[in-house]
Amino acid sequence: MAQILPPKPHEKKKRVRNWSIFVILAVIYVWAFKGVYDRSDWSIFNNLGEKFNRVIPKLFNPDWSQTEKVWEYIIETVFIAYAGTLIAAILAVPFGFWAAKNMVKSPIWNTLGKWVLILDRTFPELILAILFVITIGPGPFAGVLTIGLTAFGMLGKLYAEIIESIDMKVVEAMEANGANKMQILFYAIFPQVLPEFLSFALYRFEIDIRASTILGLVGAGGIGTLIVIAAANRNWEQLGLILLGIIVVVSVIDFASTKIRKRLV
Amino acid sequence: MITFKDLSLVYPNGTPGLKNVNVTINEGEFVVIVGLSGAGKSTFIRSINRMVSPTEGELYVEDENVLDLKGKGLRKLRTKVGMIFQNYNLVNRSSVFKNTISGRLGHTGTLRSIFNLYSKQDKLRAYENLKRVNIEEYIYQRADQLSGGQQQRVSIARVLTQDPKLILADEPVASLDPPTSHQVMQYLKKVNQEDNITTIVNLHFIDMAMEYADRIIGMRDGEVVFDGPVSEVNEKTFEQIYNRPIREDDLRGSDSDDGEE
Repeated sequence: MAQILPPKPHEKKKRVRNWSIFVILAVIYVWAFKGVYDRSDWSIFNNLGEKFNRVIPKLFNPDWSQTEKVWEYIIETVFIAYAGTLIAAILAVPFGFWAAKNMVKSPIWNTLGKWVLILDRTFPELILAILFVITIGPGPFAGVLTIGLTAFGMLGKLYAEIIESIDMKVVEAMEANGANKMQILFYAIFPQVLPEFLSFALYRFEIDIRASTILGLVGAGGIGTLIVIAAANRNWEQLGLILLGIIVVVSVIDFASTKIRKRLV
Repeated sequence: MITFKDLSLVYPNGTPGLKNVNVTINEGEFVVIVGLSGAGKSTFIRSINRMVSPTEGELYVEDENVLDLKGKGLRKLRTKVGMIFQNYNLVNRSSVFKNTISGRLGHTGTLRSIFNLYSKQDKLRAYENLKRVNIEEYIYQRADQLSGGQQQRVSIARVLTQDPKLILADEPVASLDPPTSHQVMQYLKKVNQEDNITTIVNLHFIDMAMEYADRIIGMRDGEVVFDGPVSEVNEKTFEQIYNRPIREDDLRGSDSDDGEE
């Protein structure tokens, strides 16, 4: 057995360092948890079991008489997500090109494009929803605009990254045979990016379905509207049905979209 | 006819690409440009269709100084000059046919091409050219399902569909194995002879240059250091061009190996 691995350098130093880090972390953890333990008001847990017993069984006992109403609102939720994602998916295309390094010659202009998308992504969904509910009034249209605007920032950034990753050699070949900019766009760039664009738009649709379920909390339409009413009335049976509906619809759409996306790319 | 008059090119970062090149290439010639990598072969070829812009001198393609061209004029020049690349530069996701007909882009209006409204004549032309390089059976397959040699043949068909007066090939066989390399070169030679299309090819394999060229131009450090018919060329000439003894990897090897097809 002639082959022996050469010794690792600084073995001892490293071990001392790792142990010190471990000890320091342990001390911090003990101190932190002790603080939490000492200062907590443990009495809130006293009748926890009783409260759960009042609510949980009712959640699992949905009020089927409400099915039609809940279904109507769930469909509205899906439509809000669909319309919003559609707006975003289309709006994001020009912005994606604007923010892609290899499509814009001027670095300043290109950075500005990236900033616009970053700015859009800094707005939290619910804040936007509240803004739209105030400005254009409550209802699903406010929800559509909210979803459209939030999804647009993320899709724009993803589109830009897809465009930046294309094979520019194809573009070179089209330039060399005398094609103009429009023709290069349709023959060299779109075939490379469109399937990926669509795939990310579908993925964003999955996210938007979930996002649009809570928009109703601030009055922007969808199933959230019903959730607020049911919770306020302590109508746990109805809330149970709503939750069940959301879970079923989200799962079905997730499943379908994953299948489609696999075939796209 | 292509004429280089005192043509020089300095890249924006200060690297010289071409130094005072004076060359005349006649119609129908099959010219091979040899030289080590970085010698300026690619810059030489790409100056002709202005994929790079020379900084000094004049370059005439059919009595037109290409250095003056821009926009529409430049696109018009490029429709007459076909180009073949080392990595084939096909659209992987598009069909062989769509890749081939994209050679017509420069001749087709923007709207017509976007909506795929090519004339029957153009479509037939694309199909004929696929037949010429014996690849017509793959017409509706995706380009990325083809082997390297097949893809390079599609790119030759694309160039032919463009109906060029001149073909530039920038290291067309560098990514291929020896038998496939010879096959591709044979197609280029055939097109050159049958259609009388002037062909300029960059190669760094000595044996292939000798086999296919009518005329060899040797380059070193951006300068033309040899220019003459292939009959005047021997191993000494190459040692002179490369400025070092010939090595094994300067040769591509023969045609006789088992091919991929």
